[in-house]
Amino acid sequence: MSKAKVATVWLDGCSGCHMSVLDMDETLLEVVKRADIVYGPLVDAQEFPEGVDLTLVEGAVSNQDDLKLIQKIRGRTKLLVALGDCAVTGNVPSMRNGIPVKALLERGYVEGSDVNHRPPTDGVPALLRNALPVHEVVRVDLHIPGCPPKADAIAYVVMEVLAGRKPELTGKVKFG
Amino acid sequence: MPQKISLRIDGELIHTAGQRSILEVALEHGKFIPSLCHMKGLASVGACRLCIVEVAGVGRVLPACSTPVQDGMAVTTQSDKLRRYRKIALELLFAERNHVCAVCVSNGHCELQGLATKLGVTGVRYPYTFPKIGVDLTHKKFTLDQNRCILCTRCVRVCAEVEGAHVWDVSSRGVGSRLVCELNRKWGESRNCTSCGKCVQSCPTGALAEKGFAVEEMTKRTEPISRLTALRGVRP
Amino acid sequence: MRRITDLSAFNEVREAGLAKLLPPGPRIAIGMGTCGTGNGAESVYHAFADAINQRGLGVKLARTGCFGFCAAEPLVNVWLPGKPLVILQRVQPNDVDAILDDLLAGRMPAGLALCKIEEWDHITGHVKYGAGCPEIPHWYDTAFFKGQKKIVLRNCGLISPGDIDEYFAVGGYQALYKALIDANPEAIIESIKVAKLRGRGGAGYQTGIKWDFLRKAKAEQKYIICNADEGDPGAYMNRNEIESDPHSLLEGMIIGGYVMGATEGIIYARAEYPLAVHRLNSAIEQAKEYGLLGENILNRGFKFNLRLVEGAGAFVCGEETALIRSLEGKAGRPTPRPPYPAESGLYGMPTNINNVETWYNIAPIVIKGAAWFTETGSPKSSGTKVFSLVGKVTNTGLVEMPLGTPLKTFVYDVGGGGTNGRAIKAVQTGGPSGGCIPMDMFDTAVDYESLGQLGSIMGSGGMVVMDEDNCMVDVARYFIEFTHSESCGKCIPCRVGLDKSLHYLNRISHGKGTAADLELLDELSRMIRDTSLCGLGQTAPNPVLTTMRHFRHEFEDHIRAGRCRAGVCEDLALSPCENSCPLHMNIPRFLQLLKEDRLEEAFLSVVMDNPLPASTGRVCQHPCDDRCRRAGIDEAVNMREVHRHIADAIYPTERFDALAAQVAARRLPPTGKKCAVVGAGPTGLACAFYLALLGHEVMVYDSNAAAGGMLRYALPDYRLPKDVLDLEIELIRRTGVQFTFDTQVPKDVSLNDLDSQYDSVFLAIGTWKESWVYLPGTELTGVIPALPFLEAISKQQPVPLGKNVAVIGGGNAAIDSARTALRLGSKVTIIYRRERKDMPAIAEETEAAEAEGAQIMFLATPHRIIGSPDGKVQAIEAVKTRLGEYDSSGRRRPIPTDEIVRMACDTVILAVGETVDADFAKASGLKIKESGLIEVDRYTLETSRPNFYAGGDLITGASNVSNAMGYGKKAARKIDQRLTGERRWDQIFPKFDIDQTPPAHPSASGRHHVTEVDAAERAKTFADATIGLAPVEAMEEACRCLRCDIRNGDHQ
Repeated sequence: MSKAKVATVWLDGCSGCHMSVLDMDETLLEVVKRADIVYGPLVDAQEFPEGVDLTLVEGAVSNQDDLKLIQKIRGRTKLLVALGDCAVTGNVPSMRNGIPVKALLERGYVEGSDVNHRPPTDGVPALLRNALPVHEVVRVDLHIPGCPPKADAIAYVVMEVLAGRKPELTGKVKFG
Repeated sequence: MPQKISLRIDGELIHTAGQRSILEVALEHGKFIPSLCHMKGLASVGACRLCIVEVAGVGRVLPACSTPVQDGMAVTTQSDKLRRYRKIALELLFAERNHVCAVCVSNGHCELQGLATKLGVTGVRYPYTFPKIGVDLTHKKFTLDQNRCILCTRCVRVCAEVEGAHVWDVSSRGVGSRLVCELNRKWGESRNCTSCGKCVQSCPTGALAEKGFAVEEMTKRTEPISRLTALRGVRP
Repeated sequence: MRRITDLSAFNEVREAGLAKLLPPGPRIAIGMGTCGTGNGAESVYHAFADAINQRGLGVKLARTGCFGFCAAEPLVNVWLPGKPLVILQRVQPNDVDAILDDLLAGRMPAGLALCKIEEWDHITGHVKYGAGCPEIPHWYDTAFFKGQKKIVLRNCGLISPGDIDEYFAVGGYQALYKALIDANPEAIIESIKVAKLRGRGGAGYQTGIKWDFLRKAKAEQKYIICNADEGDPGAYMNRNEIESDPHSLLEGMIIGGYVMGATEGIIYARAEYPLAVHRLNSAIEQAKEYGLLGENILNRGFKFNLRLVEGAGAFVCGEETALIRSLEGKAGRPTPRPPYPAESGLYGMPTNINNVETWYNIAPIVIKGAAWFTETGSPKSSGTKVFSLVGKVTNTGLVEMPLGTPLKTFVYDVGGGGTNGRAIKAVQTGGPSGGCIPMDMFDTAVDYESLGQLGSIMGSGGMVVMDEDNCMVDVARYFIEFTHSESCGKCIPCRVGLDKSLHYLNRISHGKGTAADLELLDELSRMIRDTSLCGLGQTAPNPVLTTMRHFRHEFEDHIRAGRCRAGVCEDLALSPCENSCPLHMNIPRFLQLLKEDRLEEAFLSVVMDNPLPASTGRVCQHPCDDRCRRAGIDEAVNMREVHRHIADAIYPTERFDALAAQVAARRLPPTGKKCAVVGAGPTGLACAFYLALLGHEVMVYDSNAAAGGMLRYALPDYRLPKDVLDLEIELIRRTGVQFTFDTQVPKDVSLNDLDSQYDSVFLAIGTWKESWVYLPGTELTGVIPALPFLEAISKQQPVPLGKNVAVIGGGNAAIDSARTALRLGSKVTIIYRRERKDMPAIAEETEAAEAEGAQIMFLATPHRIIGSPDGKVQAIEAVKTRLGEYDSSGRRRPIPTDEIVRMACDTVILAVGETVDADFAKASGLKIKESGLIEVDRYTLETSRPNFYAGGDLITGASNVSNAMGYGKKAARKIDQRLTGERRWDQIFPKFDIDQTPPAHPSASGRHHVTEVDAAERAKTFADATIGLAPVEAMEEACRCLRCDIRNGDHQ
C-alpha cells in the first residue's frame, strides 16, 4: 500500500498548533510510518504538491498570500482540516476585524513606532479587510478547535483519517 | 399543595409535583438538557432555546424551561432534530459576538464553551458578525465585556428579582440588542448598583467578571444564589 | 345629547340618524379614509362645501370612510330621495360643479358612476335608498365587488364614522342592547362557538373558546384588549375598518366585556394611524355621552370603561404577550406561553385579546345568530375575511370575501388580473409572516388550513400580488430584512438566525451565493421556524421557505447562472433591456455609440453580441420593449429597429469587408479543439460563431442546402429578405466556421461518428415537426401543416393553395402562413380559440395581417373539417367559445358554447405549434423528457451523453429566434469552459469607451416606428414589408435611451 500524503500549513497563527502537532510525540512515528509529510513548516518543500490526502491548516486567512495559498491547497487536497482556533474561528487574529485596515497599520507602524513611521509596502502581502476562519474562504472538511488543540485530539484525528474513518470529536475538543 | 403527577422523560417513569417545568424535573432526575438562560432560582424567560424538547402528541418542539409538566406527558430530551437545532443555536451565539475563548477570563469555566464541547460544536458554519462593541471597565470591582455577552439576561433577572436593584436591562432590539446598565450609564456611574456581584456570579460566560483575574482565572458559582432564593421562598 | 336609558330614547337616536342618512334633499358623502384623503378627497370635500355655500344649496354633505375600492379613489357617494345611492369614482374638485348641477336637476352623474346601491344590508339593519338609474351597474355586478360579502365592512363608506347617530341608524348598538336585555352571556359565548368564529389576527384560534376561558377565570379585575397594532407591509384592513366604522368595534368590545365579565377594555392602536386614533377617540367620547360606556350602561347596571393606547409602532407588539408588556409600560418583548393571557395577562390579571376584525363580527352574530354566520365560508372557517389586495393587480383595494374562496377569484376576478397585462407569478398572503403561493396553486381555497398546508398563513389579511417583474429572491430578502429589523432580540433563533438568513439572501441577490448557502439557509430557516419564542420568529422564515420551495429555480439562476430574470437584483444585470434580451446584448452601449456617431463601432458592438443583428432586427419578439424604463415617460425605445438600422447600414456597403475582418480578428489563437454543430439555424449559427472566435475548429452540419434554418425556410421573404440573411451568414463564415450541407444527423452521420471526430458536439436541430390536431377531416386533401407550407414557398416549390384559406392557430407561424397565403392571392381567415391579447404572435404582425385583409375569428375552436365526396376540403366548422375560469397560465380557459359557425374554404393550414422530431430524439439515444424534448442541465446545456450539448427549440420546444440564439451563445461559453478548463469568454469581446453621463433630460422625441409599406401594395409581393428607420430616426431613438446602465458613482 502506498503511503498517504500529509501536509501542514501555517497561515496567520502563532505556530502553537504546530507545537501541539510535535507534542504528539511517539504518535508522530506512527504517522510517518503510514504517511509522508510533504509540505509545511516541518519539512523542506517550496511548492505545495498535487494530490495531498490530508492537510492540517493552522491560522486564520488574513492577507492576500494566505488567500492564494489556501485556495491552491484546497484544489490539491482531499481532506482539509482546520487546526486550532485561528483556523476554526479567526481567534486572536480576528480581534482586529472591527478596525479598518488603514487605521490598524497607522496605529502599529506610525503611532507605535520610533523609526520609519510608515506602514511597510514592499515584500509584505496586503491585509484582507477581515481575518477570516478558513471555512469562510474555502470548504473545510473537519475542524479541530483549541488554542492550541490538544495533541491527543490531533493524534486521534490524524490516525482516524489515515485509517479511513471519520473522526467524532464531540466531547473531545474545546474552543480556547 | 400541588397535586402529584406522573410523566415519562426519555422513557423513564417519573412522579413529581405538578406546576413545575419539564427542565427542573428532568435535571432533578439526572437528565441532560442543555440551557444557558435558565438558572435555578430565577424566572424562566425561554430566550436561549437550547432546552427544547419533544413532547408526544405536540407538533412542535417546546422549551423545557417554560413548559410545565403534565400528567401523562411523554418527553424526549434527545433526538437528531433536537441535537441539530441545539447546535445551530450555539453556533449562532458564537457567530453573533466576538467569543475569543483563548484570551477570555472565563476560558475553561464558560458555560457556552462547555456546551459546545458537550454538543459537538467544533466549528461555526455561519459567517461571523465581528461586531465592534466595547468593554465597560468603569466599575471599581467588576468588568463588562459585551463581546462575550449572549443576552441570556440572567444578570438582569438576578439583579431585579433577587437583589432588587434592577441595574441591568436590555436596550434596542434584534441583533442591535445590548445589555445596558440603568438608562445606558457607565457601570461605574450606576446609582443603584450595590456591588453585590450576583450578576457576575450568574453570568454564564466571561461577559461579566471580577477585576484582577487573568485568562482562565474567573470561576463563578450560581448555587449560593439559587439557595438564597429557595430559602427566601421566592422560587422552589 | 343625553344618556340613553330606555328603548324610546334608543329609537329616538335611531330616527335622528336615519334623518341624517336619508335626508329630504340630496346627500353627498366623500370617502375620507386615509386612502381617500391621500388621493385628494380633502380638496374634493372643500370644493363641495364651497360650492354648496356659494350657491346656498340645501345639500347634506358628509364625510364617510372608505368603500374599499382603492384603485378608484377618491370615491364620492351621492343620493337623491327615491333614487339609488350612486358611488362616483376618481372624483376631482373640478367635477364638483357638474355633479351638483346634475343632482339639482334630479339626475345622477352617470359619467363618473362606478356603481349604484338600491338597498343595503347592514346586517344589523337594512337601508332602502331607492331604485332607478338602469344605466349604472349594481354594485354587486361590478368586477371588483362581485362575490364580495360585506359583514365586517357592513357600514364602511356608507355612514359617517364621526357621527354615532348614523351608526344607530343602521342598527348600531342594537346587539349590545339585546345582549344586556337578554342577560345571558353563556348563550352568546355558545353562539360564538357554534358560529365557529376564529381569530382574525392570523392564528385562527376559536374565539368562543377563548372567551369562555376569560369568563370562567376568577379575578378581581379582568381586561379585554383589542389588538389594532396592524403592522404588516401591504396590510391596512384594520386601519380602514376603524377609520370608517369605529362604533362597530366599540360595540363588539362592550358586548365582549359584558360577556366575559371584564370592566376594563383597551384598544392598542398604532400611533402611525392618526386618523384611526382620532376617530376612535371621538367615538369613545360620543359613546360615553350616550351612556354606552362608563357606569350603568343603557340603564342595565353594567359598567365598562374603554380607553385607547397608542403603540409606538414595533411590529412585535402585535404579538399578544409583547403587546401586554408594552401596555404595562415595559419594552415590547414577548414572554413564553404558558401562562396564557387568559390566566395571567395585563398586570398579571386574566386578559382577552382579539384582533380588530374579530370584534367586528360580534354584533352580527349576536343579532343574526350562529346559523346565519355559518352559512358563509367554509366548514372549518366560517364567515368572511377582509383582505387588502395590493401589488401588481389592476383593481387594488379592500376585499371582503367568504372564507374558502379560491385565490384565483381574488387575483383575476376581483383584482382584474395583472397590471398592463403582465403575467402574475405569485401571491404573498400574511405579509412577512406568510408565504408565497405560486400561480399554479391559485386554485387553493383561502382559509386557515389550506394556506397553512402551503407553508403560508392567512395572517391578518395582507395579499400582495407579484408578477414577472418581481424577483422571488428579492421578495424573500425584503421580508427577512423587515422581520430582521423588527425582531425584538430576545431569543437566539430570531435574533441571530434572521441576521444570518439575511446575510445569505443578500449574498445570493448580489450573485455571490453558493449551493452550500442555500442548504444552510434552508436548515436555518426551519430551525428559526421551529424553535423561536414567539409568532414573529416562528413565521418569519415562511417567505424564505416558500419561495425556496416554489421558486427554487430562481434561487438557482442567481447562484449558478448569475442571472436575475426579473431584473430586480441590480448587481446581476446591466440594465432592464440587457437583462431581458436572451442574447444579453449590451443595448445601452450600441445606442450610445450610435448617438456618438460611431456607426462602425456600434456595428461591432452589436454583431459581437448578436451575430444575426439584421435578421433579429426584423423578426425578434423584442422582450426589451416590455422592460424599457422609457415606457414610464412615453414609450419604449425601439431597440430592435435601431440594431436593424445599424446592421443594414453596414452589410450591403463597402465597409462590410473591413468590419468582417475586424470581427474575425477577435478570434483567439487556435486551441486545436474540434467542435461539431448540428443544425445551421439561428441556435447553431450563434454557437458556431462564438466557438470559432474562441479559437476552436467548428463544423456545422445541416440537412438543407444552405444555412439559416427557420430564418431561411420558415420566415417569409417579406419579413426577412434572404439577401440580408446571406450577408449575415457570410460574416459568420469569415470567422472560420465551416459547413457541411445536405447531411442529416443521425441518418448520414451518426452521433458515434461525431463523437469520435469531435471534442464536443452541439445539437441544435430545432422543431420541424408540425403538431397535428386531431379533428375529423384532417385527412382531407387541402389540409396542410404550416411549416412544410412555408418551407415549400421559401424553396419556391409549388403549393396547392385554394382561394379560401382557413388558418388554425395564433402563433407567428399562423400569421406567417396567413400573410403568405394572402400574397398568393387567397382569401384568409384565422381561427383562434382565445382572445386577441392571448395570441402568442407578435402583435405588430397580427395587425399587419389584418391590414392586408386577413380576417381573424377569435374565441372559436375548430370542430371538424367538411370534405366533398372526392375528399377535398369544402368547409370548416368551429365551435364558438366563451371565456371561463382562469387556468394555471393565468389566461381564461375557452369553454365551448352551443354556437357552431361554418365557413366555406378549400384549404386549411394547421399552425398549432411545432415539436421535436420524435424519430431524431429516439435515434439520438439521449435522455429525453416526457414532452419529447432533449433533457439537458439547465445551466451547462449538457445532455446525458458526455461532450454532447443541446440548445434552442430542441430543449425548449418551439420558441423564437432570439431565445434560440441565446442558447447557442450560452452553449459556446459552456463548451469552451469545459474544453479549456478556463474562463476565456470575456477575452473575445472588444472594449468600447463610451460617455457615461446619463442624459440631463429625457429627449423630447417620441418613439419612431418602422414605416410599413402600404397594405394593399405589400400584400401583392414578397418584398420587405417594412422600411427600416432612417438615419435621423435611428439617431433620435438612440438619444431617447435613459441610460439605466449607469450606476451611481459611474459619473460625477
